[in-house]
Amino acid sequence: MKEMKILSPLDSIEEVDELAKAGAGEFFCGVLEDSWYEKYPVISINRRPAGKGHFRRFEDLKEAVSRAHARNIPVYFTVNEHYYTNAQYDLIKWYLDGAVDSGIDAFILTDFGLMQFIKEQGYPAAIHISTGGTVFNWRSVAFFQQQGASNITFPRHLSIAEIADITAIMPPMETTVFVLNSRCINIDGFCTFQHGLARKEVLPMFKNACMLPFEVQVCSRDMNVPFMLQASMIERQRIWERVHVDDHPCGACAMYEFQKLGIGSMKVVGRGNPLERKVLDIQFLKRLLDMLDGNISRSEFYQISRKLYQQTYSRQCRSHMCYYPEVMLDGAGGT
Amino acid sequence: MEQALYIHSTDQLYYLSEDFTRLYFGAEFCERLIPSRPELETVLRIVRERDLDFTWMTPFVTNRGLGRLEELLPVLAQTCPDAEVVVNDWGVLQLLRSEYPQLKPVLGRLLNKSKRGPRIMNIFNQIPPSTQDYFQGCNLDVPSAVRFLKQQGISRVEFDNLLQGLKLEGTDGSIRKSLYLPFAFVSATRFCLTANCDDPEKMDSIGVFPCGKECLNYSFNLYNPVMTLPLIRRGNTVFFTNESIPDVVTGQQVDRIVIQPELPV
Repeated sequence: MKEMKILSPLDSIEEVDELAKAGAGEFFCGVLEDSWYEKYPVISINRRPAGKGHFRRFEDLKEAVSRAHARNIPVYFTVNEHYYTNAQYDLIKWYLDGAVDSGIDAFILTDFGLMQFIKEQGYPAAIHISTGGTVFNWRSVAFFQQQGASNITFPRHLSIAEIADITAIMPPMETTVFVLNSRCINIDGFCTFQHGLARKEVLPMFKNACMLPFEVQVCSRDMNVPFMLQASMIERQRIWERVHVDDHPCGACAMYEFQKLGIGSMKVVGRGNPLERKVLDIQFLKRLLDMLDGNISRSEFYQISRKLYQQTYSRQCRSHMCYYPEVMLDGAGGT
Repeated sequence: MEQALYIHSTDQLYYLSEDFTRLYFGAEFCERLIPSRPELETVLRIVRERDLDFTWMTPFVTNRGLGRLEELLPVLAQTCPDAEVVVNDWGVLQLLRSEYPQLKPVLGRLLNKSKRGPRIMNIFNQIPPSTQDYFQGCNLDVPSAVRFLKQQGISRVEFDNLLQGLKLEGTDGSIRKSLYLPFAFVSATRFCLTANCDDPEKMDSIGVFPCGKECLNYSFNLYNPVMTLPLIRRGNTVFFTNESIPDVVTGQQVDRIVIQPELPV
């Protein structure tokens, strides 16, 4: 059985060696130069706001790719905004050229116009479909295979059983799943809120819209909703305010199933995180990944992964922070 | 200007008036709400009786939802072979292209990625014109995007009525455009907060779980000052209402208005 790889974020040359040593098997990254930011200050080219989380120069990316390749680690370049307009294509082409010149192995993308453009230009890099591609079924896999993609990232909003249903009958395709950080509660590819519309200091404009505190009014076709039930409904509507995407959401237990399903990569979200945090995340997953080499049982693996999560992040497992909460409901426990 | 009525339940057929020459019917956002075969047959009978054009609305789907559509599409293809099918899932498009090439695929709102979040309006007048153009635009002015759609047999794309306005100048005229009024979708989830909302014991469940279709009874108005208008959560989807008639209608850049008399969930 092919071993799963840990797909790690990468923001700088200096991180390559540390993350590789921690266990990263693949890197994803982006570049954001001033020329883009000046024209599009609140729109990224790669779903990360300006500031941290990007290489600032293609020269740096080239050096990072060189170091990664020396360790036999591929590097994937994010151009995964949901859409680009024609006015952006001069810059886009400059970015694509720069990425290819830097030696990247694949583009991670969502926009069908860009996918077609990359195919037509014949860029010597693979096409990976981002989670924004919303692949919820086997025919979507087949669709993107027909478009020339070689890897798809499944949405966060599939259960393990649903992923198994897809992988059982899909055509040959490399696959990536999320296992750590940023458990978005809306479907990435179907979310049209724009984040990062102001600096962090202006929190209501910076923060993810879904996590803002909302006043909630219950509307019902049944006019007589008891007061206590309404209160409970309102409380439930506000639960997303507690789901902070950076509060260590985790799906590590599911690695056990993912390896059996032949999933190729486990994505760790975290462009912009400090190197120490990235290393911690990769080491956490690598220790668990190594355990899958042996004859460990599912229940043993669940127990160990939960314990290691608590040790690593000083947090208990929480169902609303669990990427695949059916694992917890299935007897693995948690709060 | 073609006027279409969009309903998601046979209970809403009473909205059908002489003003409409086309009927949209189906589920757009949740596979659990895909109508039954008898419901589809009822609607197709009325379409035939009233000599209407028909558009079948489909949501994004897991393998399970794909199976439901595979049961219904033969009925549609046989009864209404020139029907349009709005696709919000690339797998559904693949299914149409491979099994039902006579049906006409239309690119749905979920695959039209225009930014809809109302917070944009707080800064819209302060951002550079290039950024304004982005928020009002779409990828249909990109030649490769148009070539892609044509290769997929798609000649129509569905649009929401954006608060920041829609700029469709420069988009390819051979791709026709529909505008939905008055409800615009903003975001969708499968971690549905309407699911089991009347069961306090399931308060903390955030994931893909079974539901009792509570969305048929409840919706939630959401207020936050930074949003420039109320949001409405119905089922797994968040909407806003925009009843203004945009320039793209008077300028004939859209050739179809799709009226939603009720929230489309």
